[in-house]
Amino acid sequence: MIWKTAWKNVWRNRVRSLVVIASVTIGVFASVFSIAMMNGMVAQRVDAALDEEISHVQISGMGFRLNNDPQILITDRGKTVSQIKTVNGITGMVERTIISGMASTASKSAGVQIIGIDPEMEKKIFTLNKTIMQGTGDYFEKESKNELALIGQDLAKELNIIRYSIDSTVLLTLKMQEIPDEILDKLASLSGIRFANEKKFNKTINSLLSKREINKYGQKIKKEAWSFREGSRLTLTFLDKDNNQVGARFRLAGIYDVKNTMFEQSVVFVKDADLKRLTGIKENSFHQIILRINDIEQTEKITSELREKLPDLDVMNWREIQPDLAMLTDYVHQIYAVFMVIILAALAFGIVNTMLMVVLERTRELGMLTAIGMNKKKVFSMIMLESVFLSLIGGIAGMFVGWIVILLTAKNGINFVKYAEGMEAFGYSAHVFPEISAGFFIVVTFLIILTGIVSSIYPALKALKLNPVEAIRTE
Amino acid sequence: MKNYKMAWRNLWRNKRRTLITVASVFFAVFFALIMRSLQLGTYDHMFRNAIESYTGYIQIQHEDFWDNKTVDNIFNYTPELERAVMSDNNTITTVPRFESFALASSGTLTKGVLVMGIDPEKETFLSNVKGKLVKYRLNEDNIENLKKADLPEKLKKEFDLFKGNDYSSKASIMLELGISERDSGSILPVLEKYASFENGYIKSGEPGALLGDKLATFLKVGIGDTLVLIGQGYHGTTAAGKFRIAGIVKLPTPDFDNKIVYLPFDICQELYNAPGMLTSLAVSIKENDDSEISRMIKTLSSKIEPPLKVIGWRKMNELMINQMDADSKSGMVMIGILYMVIAFGIFGTVLMMTAERRREFGVLVAVGLQKSKLVAVIIFEMLYIGIMGIFSGIAIALPAIIYGFYHPVRFSGEMAKMYEDYGMEPVMPFMPVDFYFLWQSVVVSIIVLIAIIYPVRKIYKMKIVNSLKA
Repeated sequence: MIWKTAWKNVWRNRVRSLVVIASVTIGVFASVFSIAMMNGMVAQRVDAALDEEISHVQISGMGFRLNNDPQILITDRGKTVSQIKTVNGITGMVERTIISGMASTASKSAGVQIIGIDPEMEKKIFTLNKTIMQGTGDYFEKESKNELALIGQDLAKELNIIRYSIDSTVLLTLKMQEIPDEILDKLASLSGIRFANEKKFNKTINSLLSKREINKYGQKIKKEAWSFREGSRLTLTFLDKDNNQVGARFRLAGIYDVKNTMFEQSVVFVKDADLKRLTGIKENSFHQIILRINDIEQTEKITSELREKLPDLDVMNWREIQPDLAMLTDYVHQIYAVFMVIILAALAFGIVNTMLMVVLERTRELGMLTAIGMNKKKVFSMIMLESVFLSLIGGIAGMFVGWIVILLTAKNGINFVKYAEGMEAFGYSAHVFPEISAGFFIVVTFLIILTGIVSSIYPALKALKLNPVEAIRTE
Repeated sequence: MKNYKMAWRNLWRNKRRTLITVASVFFAVFFALIMRSLQLGTYDHMFRNAIESYTGYIQIQHEDFWDNKTVDNIFNYTPELERAVMSDNNTITTVPRFESFALASSGTLTKGVLVMGIDPEKETFLSNVKGKLVKYRLNEDNIENLKKADLPEKLKKEFDLFKGNDYSSKASIMLELGISERDSGSILPVLEKYASFENGYIKSGEPGALLGDKLATFLKVGIGDTLVLIGQGYHGTTAAGKFRIAGIVKLPTPDFDNKIVYLPFDICQELYNAPGMLTSLAVSIKENDDSEISRMIKTLSSKIEPPLKVIGWRKMNELMINQMDADSKSGMVMIGILYMVIAFGIFGTVLMMTAERRREFGVLVAVGLQKSKLVAVIIFEMLYIGIMGIFSGIAIALPAIIYGFYHPVRFSGEMAKMYEDYGMEPVMPFMPVDFYFLWQSVVVSIIVLIAIIYPVRKIYKMKIVNSLKA
């Protein structure tokens, strides 16, 4: 009965209730969607780190991690591998050779980490092979008599391997993408010029086109003008196992793009056999063994088991390798909660005001109800329920709209092109795919009900203080 | 009675509702101010760090160097150039630099490093490398000794947390370990005894090097050891040389700390086969406000000739500006949502007020009050609510912000460690009063003005007979 009365009361002043409901709807929708964006960004970062960069567990010789000393190798591979295999929950294993060195082209050089891999094995652990940029080659698929290297997009830019130029094919493709002729005419004046790097190209484009035109077409133009000469070469310089400097020419197998500037700038992949030959490191010796596990919740357990079985080796899991990532996954939910609570608190002011109004305008009615024997508990819960209904209707509507918008945007993601450079420098992709777990909605529902209850306390207490005799007399 | 007076009295007829509405505005303004202040303060702090420890406000470079940092895009450091820069009133001194990339090795360990040729004395005016020399070290041996010494147990636990860290001043080690002023008298001498570190500096003309402390740990080198640098010199020559490690520095940004090697710039020019040349000439300046900097960029640009070019700190920190911009926008979205919710709250209040006072309005107009006057009263009422909300928000937030500005929150212990792992300085600085204060007021005023539209329309469309019946 109380439930029904409370529900009917909500609709007695339709406009007023709808304003409150609308405010809750908008507040909840906006915060749910922002949180989904944040969560999507974080999830993408974590996935990228685990699937492309570090995986779950890394095992190396004691002290290797500190300074990548190439002499610290895992030499008894057979024994180590058989020990690892006794631990449950490990789904994949791959070995790597890691050497610090310098990558250089005719015009520039940069410090890099050269990682020797077995491409076929790597595919079982990492998804890096799916990040090869179109038109730059492949993931060591093609046979070649040259030594091959796979480098990151940012390193390619840094070393002036990626260039920009506009020629007739570029103009034609742009024309097909319905870019106005006047812009094409302006661009045509650039044909024949090669821009050694992105910044120079940007500078020229900026001076050529208006701001509005760049906002509209800049990305398309840049994408088409991007040029890369297949089979480019670069020199990798490093020290071999006897401390002699080795400089070797590598051909580019391809360019990968993982949306993480630090990683792309510093990690170069080559075939393990090539690196072993050049450095003189013996076969079956490695710097690192990388493991993938099937359940990420088991990370700590598997790590400690491995530590027990491999006391002479350094076992590290992803939480220890990238504490910032672990911190992020641990605390991110608290951040969402704080965000949600602040917004709900702001909403509560509106609800309190409305409920107060409700109580004051029904003074006579409430007095009557008490006079005919409705007990205080029931009056209190009736008001509280009305408040909860108000917030819950708005909350459910907000979550529903949020859910729909998340579904719609999650398909193609939202691309913050303007901030790509800055975000990728932190390892975050600027192309965000919002996502949120179902559990989150349950928590939010709970918080919304709580908001309804909390904001009804003051008005409900006011209602209890009414003296029935006096209350009936008010008009 | 005057309109504003009547409005004020009207407000207190329903005290509770007025106070709750004011409280909602206060809540939004307070949160928005504190959040904005923290955000802007952090940006400001990071910019200052980057500018004061690395780029400086103004540099002169070869026009291609910024986009393409190779040893081939360098220029001659001539006395004419020096005179041209020094002739500006705002110049304190010029700070010559030669920066490039090399492979540093010691024994079997190698790492790509940033080689920075500096003038050991003049650099003090800009990035103050001298002040960043390591004074205290918490390495394993030192911690071992410290643990035997007579120190509080709590402090001993902290040592393990910060194992391997270096500190360049008393203040920094006290902050990180959470040593209070009061305890410093008894603790500092012990630290001095067991954890202090003998350091040296570089001199022009002597082939000595300074290393970032993380880099030194990586290469397992200490003072007096030899460092080999191999790189690409001017016009494709090979650059290679041996240097004695003269000192270890601790830089606030971990990224630099991991890869920096300082050499005297004349030695660096020799290494890269580019005698008399520089990659950049930074300028140490007196006044650093925006207008003064852009004036200086203009005057200097007119005094130098291509291929030389003057660039300002904004250009040099473009990436950081982009990051801050993205972060700032996300903060603004949050504040935007908050204000949107508050706007609805205010609108709800207005709605109730209008409905409740329909009859009153009718009576007032019936007895001859002009509608325009009634509207003015209502507008005053709403403005009072807005203004009270804004002022109470500012009044409470301001002391917190001012206090936070002069005493920024610094984390110690676990929190500090977490921040450092994240590559950030463990500090939360506030931004003092600035335009963002004005913004909050403008936004609230706009919300209030929009909310007023509803009762104003109601009053103008009101049919007296109907409302009297209400």
